[in-house]
Amino acid sequence: MNKCKIVFYQTLMISTAILVGLGIQEIIGYFRYGIESFEIEWYIPITIPLTALLCSIPSILIIDCEGLSKKRIIFRVIVHFICLLMIVSGCGYLFKWYSNADEYIVILIEYVLIYAFVWLASWWFEKKDEVKINEALKDLQDNE
Amino acid sequence: MQVEINKISEKKDEKAVIHIVTVTDEIQNAIDILKNDCLGIPVTNDSETLVCKLDKIYYVESVDKHTYVYTKGNCYKTKYRLYELEDMLSVDFFRCSKSMILNIRKIKSVKADFNGRMIAELLNNERIIISRSYVKDLKRKLGL
Repeated sequence: MNKCKIVFYQTLMISTAILVGLGIQEIIGYFRYGIESFEIEWYIPITIPLTALLCSIPSILIIDCEGLSKKRIIFRVIVHFICLLMIVSGCGYLFKWYSNADEYIVILIEYVLIYAFVWLASWWFEKKDEVKINEALKDLQDNE
Repeated sequence: MQVEINKISEKKDEKAVIHIVTVTDEIQNAIDILKNDCLGIPVTNDSETLVCKLDKIYYVESVDKHTYVYTKGNCYKTKYRLYELEDMLSVDFFRCSKSMILNIRKIKSVKADFNGRMIAELLNNERIIISRSYVKDLKRKLGL
């Protein structure tokens, strides 16, 4: 159940990140190239959470890393990055997010930015937890 | 010392309040009994059997089906399994990984590590890894 919860929250986070990425792309298109309209096929909205769900499944690779050294965890993260890249590239091809090499490069850049965003967001939450826990520990610590 | 006892009807409202100037050994024993229903856990050191007081325990670790109790400078063996100790040491202790129970009062500070896990630095400067899936248990024990 815990893994299902994590996959669910990852799907939400990745979907949000994709939408934000798309939004930023259109803002750049408007201000830089004067593109005033944004047209998408009818099936594009559903491809976002679908891709996010597929991308969150490999997260199971990096959820349970207990007992693993930092090196092995980093290796798993690299494998995770490559798995997600393959999923994004495959979904992009299937759902026609790109039709040529230039558009694929844009997708790649967005993917790297979204990946970095999700990791940074997780790190930010963990740092907040660290501060809260250390504050709470001060009242409980034994005097030795 | 004056002792005052008030009988109540609801078990969930049971509470002990101790007004003291300083915590003596006897008062600490009383606190341990009230909190954990036991003073200490029986352990062996070579061929000697003794009772390890709960407030001396830093952490308990299970290795190769044997359970070891670690204090500031010593390591003892106990016949109890980790899951049994988890029930006995309910207050101030929490499971920090699949094979370890940690005393919250012995944690000096925590630091967020890679991939959601935390490194706890203990009062004796030892470092223990709190696995990602057990960080929420620590937060719950601290009331966060």
